[in-house]
Amino acid sequence: MFWKFVVNAVKYRRRRLLLAFSSMTVAATLATTLFGIYGEIEDRVRGEFRGYGANLIIAPAMGTATVPLAAVSQAESLGAKAAPMLLSTSSLDGQPVILAGLDFARSQPFTSYWRVQGARAAAGDSCLAGTLAADRFNLAIGRIADLEGGACKVTGIVSTGGPEDNQLMLPYDRLASRAHVGGVATLISVRADGSRLSQVRDDLQRRLPGTDVRLIEAVAQTETAVVLKMRAAFFLLTLLILAITTLSVTSNFSELVLERSREIGILKAIGASERRIAALFVSESVLLGLLSAIAGYVTGNLVAAQIGRSVFGGGFTLSASAPVLLFVGAVTVAVAIIATMLAAGRIWRIEPALILRGD
Amino acid sequence: MFLRFVIESLRRAPKRKAMTVAAVAMGSAVATAMLGVMLDIGDKVNRELRSVGANLIVTPRALGAPVEIAGVRAVPVGQAAYIPEDQIPKIKSIFWQLNITGFAPSLTAAASVPVEGVWFHRRYRTPDGREQQTGIRDLNPAWQMDGRWIDDGDSAAVYDCMPGAAAARKLGLAVGSTAHLLGHDFMVAGILRTGSDEDDRVLVRLNVLQEILHRKGQVDSLQVGAITKPEDAFARKDPRRMSSAELERWNCTNYVSSIAHQINEVLPMAIARPVWRVADNEGRVLSRIGGLMLLIALAALASAGITVWSVMATTVLERRGEIAIMQATGAGDWLIACLFGAEVAMEGLAGGVVGALAGVELASWVGRSVFRAGIEAPPVLIPLVIVVAVLVALLGAAQPLRRSLVTPPALVLREGV
Repeated sequence: MFWKFVVNAVKYRRRRLLLAFSSMTVAATLATTLFGIYGEIEDRVRGEFRGYGANLIIAPAMGTATVPLAAVSQAESLGAKAAPMLLSTSSLDGQPVILAGLDFARSQPFTSYWRVQGARAAAGDSCLAGTLAADRFNLAIGRIADLEGGACKVTGIVSTGGPEDNQLMLPYDRLASRAHVGGVATLISVRADGSRLSQVRDDLQRRLPGTDVRLIEAVAQTETAVVLKMRAAFFLLTLLILAITTLSVTSNFSELVLERSREIGILKAIGASERRIAALFVSESVLLGLLSAIAGYVTGNLVAAQIGRSVFGGGFTLSASAPVLLFVGAVTVAVAIIATMLAAGRIWRIEPALILRGD
Repeated sequence: MFLRFVIESLRRAPKRKAMTVAAVAMGSAVATAMLGVMLDIGDKVNRELRSVGANLIVTPRALGAPVEIAGVRAVPVGQAAYIPEDQIPKIKSIFWQLNITGFAPSLTAAASVPVEGVWFHRRYRTPDGREQQTGIRDLNPAWQMDGRWIDDGDSAAVYDCMPGAAAARKLGLAVGSTAHLLGHDFMVAGILRTGSDEDDRVLVRLNVLQEILHRKGQVDSLQVGAITKPEDAFARKDPRRMSSAELERWNCTNYVSSIAHQINEVLPMAIARPVWRVADNEGRVLSRIGGLMLLIALAALASAGITVWSVMATTVLERRGEIAIMQATGAGDWLIACLFGAEVAMEGLAGGVVGALAGVELASWVGRSVFRAGIEAPPVLIPLVIVVAVLVALLGAAQPLRRSLVTPPALVLREGV
C-alpha cells in the first residue's frame, strides 16, 4: 500500500517531479563528468613534467669515477626511462674541450627541450656541438672538428642554457672506444613515474650498492606540489559546483510537499499519522534522488568519454568507478531528504478541516 | 500601474521571490568563482613552477659559459672575465623587473671539491633605492637541508659552509664539524640535498670566497628566476629582423627570450641565456593546465546556466493562473510579457549582484586554501556576470511565458489556479 502510494505519486505528478529530477540529474551528471575526466587530467599534467628530463640521477659513489652501464637496464626493468652519459676531455685547436658520449636513442626523452639546428642525434663519425663550444672553435654544420684522437663531422648545433652548450656530443660507443673504457658511464639520467618516484629510488639504490642514486629535488618536489594543488583546486571547485547546483533544486523538493496540502489533508482526515505521511514524502524524494544519481552517473560517464575522446585523443581511458557513483548518490539523496524534511514540518501544522473546506 | 504591479508581486510572495533570487545568486556565484580561479590559476602555477630553479643563466661575455667538467666549473687560464657584483642589482631596473622573482650570483673555485661562493638570502639595494633580499634560498625552495641555512649578514659566523650531500660524504663532514678548504677552516652549518650539481659542492658566502681568491666584487655566474609567458611562434622570431612595432610588442611581453635580451642591455659585459630545460617546460605545463581549467569552467558555466534557466521556467509555469486572469481581464500579450520581463529582470539583477560578489569571495577562498594566496578576480568579471545572469533569467522565462500566453485562459482557469 505504502509503495503503491509512492509509485503512483511519481506517476501522476510527472511534471513537477520531472523538473526536480532533471535539475538533480544535471548536477549528478556534472559531478560524474568531472570526476571521470580528472584521472586523465592528472596524467596529462604529470606527462608534461616529463619534459623536465631526469628526476633521478645515478652518480658514482665515493671513491669511484663511473657507474656500471648495467644500471640502465636495472632502471628500465623498474619501468623507468634511463640514459647513460660518459664524459671525457680532448683537445681541439690546442684548447681543451669536453666530450660527452650519449646513447642518443635512449636520451631522446631527456632532450625534448633542446633547441637544435641540424640533426638531433649523432651516429657513426658525426657529432653535435653545443652552441658556446661551436662559437669558441668556429664550428658550423658540415665542418669537421679535428679532435685529438679522431675527427668528427658536426651535424647539429645544440642550445640548452645548460652544460651541454659547452660540449661536443658523440655517440656513446664512439667515446667509450676512444677513452678505452667499456660498460661504464659517468652519469645515468633516470625518469621514473612521478607518483612512485621514491619507491623506484629506493629499489635502485638497493640493487646498485656501488652508486649514489639521487632524487632531483627541484623537479620531483615541484611536480608533486603542482599536482597536489591542482587536485585540491579541482576537488574544491567540483564540490562547490555540486553543492550549489543541488542547493538550488531544494526549492523544488519543498514545493513537492507544499503544493500537496490538500492530499495531506485527506490523508490526515482518513487517519494517517503525521510520521507516516512524512515517511511517504521522504521515500518519494529518496527514490527520486537515487534515480537522478543513476541517470546522472550514466550520462556523466557518456559525456566524460565524449569529452575525453575529443580533447585527449584516442588513448583516453575513462576512470569510471564505484566510489564516484556512491559519492554522487549520497549527495543527491542527502539533498533530497534534507529539502523534503525542511518542508515536512508543514504536515504537522495542516488542519484537514481547513484545507478540505476548499480554501 | 505597471510599477505597482511589479512591486506588489515582489511584496506579496517574498519567500518564493527569495528562492528564485537565491538560485540565480548561486548560479552566478559558481560562474564567477570558476572564472576567477581559471583566469588566475596560470599565474599561481607559474609561481609554483619557479621552485624548479632558475630559468635564466647569465655568464661573463668573454667566458661564454663556465667550462664545466663533471660538475666543476673551471675558468680557462688567461680569461679573467667576470661580472661586477655591484652591477647585478641593475637587473631589477629592466621593464620586467617585477617578474624577476629572485637571482643568485656565484663564484666558483676548485679545491678538493668545488667551492662556490653564493648569496644565500642577502639584502641588496635596487637601482631605485628599495631594499630587498634574494639568493639561492629564494631561487630553490625545493632543496632539502639538514642543519641550518647560512645567514649572509651574520658577522660572527663568517667562515660557515654548506656542503652538498655527496661532497659531505667525500670529505667526511657532518653538521657542526669543520672543513678545511682553500687554506681556511669552515664550520658546517647545514648539509644540502638537491640531486643536482650542488650535491658535489661546498657553498660558502660569496664575499668570503671573493676575499680568499683576491677577486673582490667579482662574480662568474648569475642565476635568475623570472615569471615568463610560454613561448609562441612570435617569441621565436629573431629580434634583429623585427619591425619597430613588432620589437616593441616583443619587448613588452614577458617571454624568457625578451627578458634575456633586456638583461643583456643592462649587463653588457655578460650573456644571458634561457635555461631551456626549465623555460620550455613551464610553458607546456601551463598551457596544459590552462586548457583543463577551461574545460572545468565550461562545465560549471553550463550547470550554472541550466540552474538559472530551470528555476525561471518553473516560476513562470507556476504562475500560469495569474497570466490567464490578466488575459481574461483584457491585458494585452505585450503588457503581460513586459510585466513578467521586468520582474524576472529584477530577480536576475538581484541574484546576479549577490552571486557575483559572493563568487569573488569564493574564488579568493579557493585561492587561499589551495595556493595560500588570494585570487583577485578581474573587476570586469562582476558586471559581466550580472548582465549574463539577467539575460539567462530572461531567456529561461521567455519560452514558458510564450506558451502560457498562447494557451486559452479558459483552459488554464478551469484546471484551477
